Amino acid sequence: MSKSLLINPSALEAGLEAAFAARSKTSEPQAAAFQRFSKLGFPNRRVEGWKWSDFNAALRKPQEKGKKPAAGEIPLSPFAALHPVEIRIVDGQYQLPEGARPEGLRFRLIDPSGTIPEFERHPMAMLNVAMTGKALGMQVVEGAVLNRPILIRHINTGAGFTFAQTLLRVSKNAWAQLIETYEGGGAGFYSHLFHTVVRDGGRLDRLVLQDTGGDAVVHGICAAKIDCASRFDQTALSTGARLARHETHAHFWCEQSSARLNSAALVSGGRHSDFTSDVIFKAEACETRQLHKGVAKDRGRNVFQGKFHVERGGQKTDARMAANALLLSDDAEANHKPELEIYADDVECAHGSTSGALDEDALFYLRQRGLDEASARTLLVEAFVGEVIDGIGDEAARYIFRARVNDWLRNEA
Amino acid sequence: MSFLEIKNLHVTVDDREILRGIDLTIGQGEIHAIMGPNGSGKSTLSYTLAGRDSYEVTDGAVTFDGEDLLALDPDARAAKGVFLSFQHPMEIPGVATMNFIRTALNAQRKARGEEEVSAADFLKLIREKAKLVGLDDAKLKRPFNVGFSGGEKKRMEMLQMAIFEPRFCIMDETDSGLDIDALKMVGEVVNALRDSSRGFLVITHYQRLLEYIKPDAVHVLAGGRIVKSGGPELARELEKSGYEQFIEAA
Ligand SMILES: Nc1ncnc2c1ncn2[C@@H]1O[C@H](COP(=O)(O)OP(=O)(O)OP(=O)(O)O)[C@@H](O)[C@H]1O
Ligand SMILES: [Mg+2]
Repeated sequence: MSKSLLINPSALEAGLEAAFAARSKTSEPQAAAFQRFSKLGFPNRRVEGWKWSDFNAALRKPQEKGKKPAAGEIPLSPFAALHPVEIRIVDGQYQLPEGARPEGLRFRLIDPSGTIPEFERHPMAMLNVAMTGKALGMQVVEGAVLNRPILIRHINTGAGFTFAQTLLRVSKNAWAQLIETYEGGGAGFYSHLFHTVVRDGGRLDRLVLQDTGGDAVVHGICAAKIDCASRFDQTALSTGARLARHETHAHFWCEQSSARLNSAALVSGGRHSDFTSDVIFKAEACETRQLHKGVAKDRGRNVFQGKFHVERGGQKTDARMAANALLLSDDAEANHKPELEIYADDVECAHGSTSGALDEDALFYLRQRGLDEASARTLLVEAFVGEVIDGIGDEAARYIFRARVNDWLRNEA
Repeated sequence: MSFLEIKNLHVTVDDREILRGIDLTIGQGEIHAIMGPNGSGKSTLSYTLAGRDSYEVTDGAVTFDGEDLLALDPDARAAKGVFLSFQHPMEIPGVATMNFIRTALNAQRKARGEEEVSAADFLKLIREKAKLVGLDDAKLKRPFNVGFSGGEKKRMEMLQMAIFEPRFCIMDETDSGLDIDALKMVGEVVNALRDSSRGFLVITHYQRLLEYIKPDAVHVLAGGRIVKSGGPELARELEKSGYEQFIEAA
């Protein structure tokens, strides 16, 4: 028996180690990544950046067996209305669509990413790198403007650990719309690493809708490298889970690029949502707008950690971050940590954070006009989240997101 | 049966008694004006009539059409036709103005068992009334009152009053902060609604509005009580002499 890499491994970590050892094909970088994960272990609340989202604790809770739906039971995606190129990752199995692909889009299964330097101290990313068997590789060729969106459906129905990776290159002057949905009633752990490069003059619009069962542990890690005069526009909506964390790491390497990183969380029951991001400004005159809106009721918990890191080369950076939390019950919680770290002197950076209950004055105003209490509350919460939803450029997609918010408000708020 | 009857109304806010026994009866078709010094309880009275829950009625009664008004939720009062033009109207970010007003109108109508107004009919209605109160289309497309000037917010109150056609209108300093044309417009909105089925309670500090809206009665509210009542001449008298005499009396 080989010696464990882990010091004092938990049953969970030992299980993963066994699973890693049992794999038939692992590359050198994967072995190195597993070694890195082994040193760090699952992050717990004592680890900086993880104090509000303790994976170690969440994964130790007994996991129920998820119910596997029979084949063909996968429901139609609401985004089917946008005629997307639909790729499914069902319990870790990639399902690529047959038939014609839009001009300029290529995709196939490839070997997963080797090590990712900026994630070497990120235990969960290292675990993903080590454990992922195959990755989905996609490319939008130079100058292509896709006439249909790409839809990736992450569907998880089981328990246990599942890993997947998507690598997307948006070539020069290309434009792609990517929609990702996290779905299914599974009760396991799902980790998805999304690695993208937006080349000069390119644009990627990415929408994420994470709407899984409440027992799931979901971890989406997005690393975006943004080249010259390009744009990365992202809006994500999460309804939380046992633990749902969506990370975005954006790097501006070249001048005149911009990003929008908007997110909204709607958490009820004992659900937990975490949006964590850091944006690194290495080059001049890049712009970022970031808005987070979190609604929590019951014992729901909503975490936002946002960081702008402006390096010396990041002169004329224009970056704004705002996080607003709405707490609909006494037990609901919001944890915000907006951070600025600035090493350039000619920049405009700002952040703000608010947290509070529904505005009683506004509520009374609406009721005075004839709205009953439930409708008035719904209208105000909808308005609160609406600012994020309204930012979605694609009208049809915006409509679907708004419908999901309304649905949540009707059923959960 | 009287239209609106307030009897010995006592109201406490944050453990402080603000209204200390108000008696006031408004008959159908009547306009009553209330004047009085700052902090005397005028807005407290209007909030209480509209049903704001932090305003605790410790004694007294209010009936509207013979029905116990105080037993109703704010939205139920609105459906019965009670409308409050707020002294300080809210800005409500993220709420689309037209959609909200239509939702409110239809909620009221539904509660009364009336048919809902179609989107097309509503559009016609709001366009017509917006013109009357002097709000252009661009303002209707903005989130509710967001970035509006004080006067524009008051126009938005009048727009809603004109659309809802309430039976009992409480106008809490609608005239404050309005230019002369807007003041005239408020008079037009009120006079267009004024008929034998409706009543108005007009709170104001100035007698100017009362030149456009001829009140049937004027009351002075001071220290949480009505200390004097009279005809329109009382407003003119107050404009000259101020409230000092009444503060003593209260
Ligand atoms: N929500 C509240 N909390 C605490 N005190 C209040 C509240 N509302 C009103 N008051 C107090 O009640 C008193 C009456 O206030 P109100 O707003 O009714 O006066 P008003 O007659 O409308 O005055 P103005 O002419 O300035 O509008 C004031 O002393 C005010 O400070
Ligand atoms: Mg007042």
